[in-house]
Amino acid sequence: MQATLRVLRDLENEGVLERYAIGGAMAATFYCEPLATFDLDVFVILPVTESGLISLAALYAALRQRGYEEEGDCVVIEGIPVQFLPAYNALVEEALREAREQPFEAVSTRVLRAEHLLAIALQTGRPKGRERVRILLEQAEIERPLLTEIVRRHGLEARWSAWTS
Amino acid sequence: MDELRPEIAALFRAKEARRLRLAKLPFPEKVRIVVELQKMVAPLLRQRGRTVRVWDLDER
Repeated sequence: MQATLRVLRDLENEGVLERYAIGGAMAATFYCEPLATFDLDVFVILPVTESGLISLAALYAALRQRGYEEEGDCVVIEGIPVQFLPAYNALVEEALREAREQPFEAVSTRVLRAEHLLAIALQTGRPKGRERVRILLEQAEIERPLLTEIVRRHGLEARWSAWTS
Repeated sequence: MDELRPEIAALFRAKEARRLRLAKLPFPEKVRIVVELQKMVAPLLRQRGRTVRVWDLDER
């Protein structure tokens, strides 16, 4: 996995990505018990193209140049299928901005905060997300005032009440 | 609602304690566990027609 994380870091250093952070089940695994997953979800802020559109094309081209092939929705980087998810709304942009640097053996990577993972799961509203919220609340060290503020700021109070009452 | 028998309640408590212990493992160790989970789950998913790839953690 170190090799995969090195590639992500290099892509950011080279400006192919503006910023990246691990999300999804692997980020939840950072804070909780290991969760079964086959993809490494990576949220990204991409440089805005000349046309003003956000596109994964330049990122995929850079990866192809390095010899990494697409496989379904993912690109297999050093043996790990990575799914790139462009920041699609204000909550994800905030989560990416506030993601934390974390060491992984000899490399440094970035992981979304547990509070943002919770909020993204709430916002997405899938049954899998509901289970993730439960596990994070049980096992992760959550900064409650921060979580409350994120939930309020992004209008997630109703689902929070429904899922946690 | 029926109350749990004490020995069953103890089993559930132990299970919960194990999950909390797992949560405190270092991240690289958790990643290795995820790959072991993938190895267990992959044959079942493939039988159901899903294409899955078990992560190759061999560092190049």
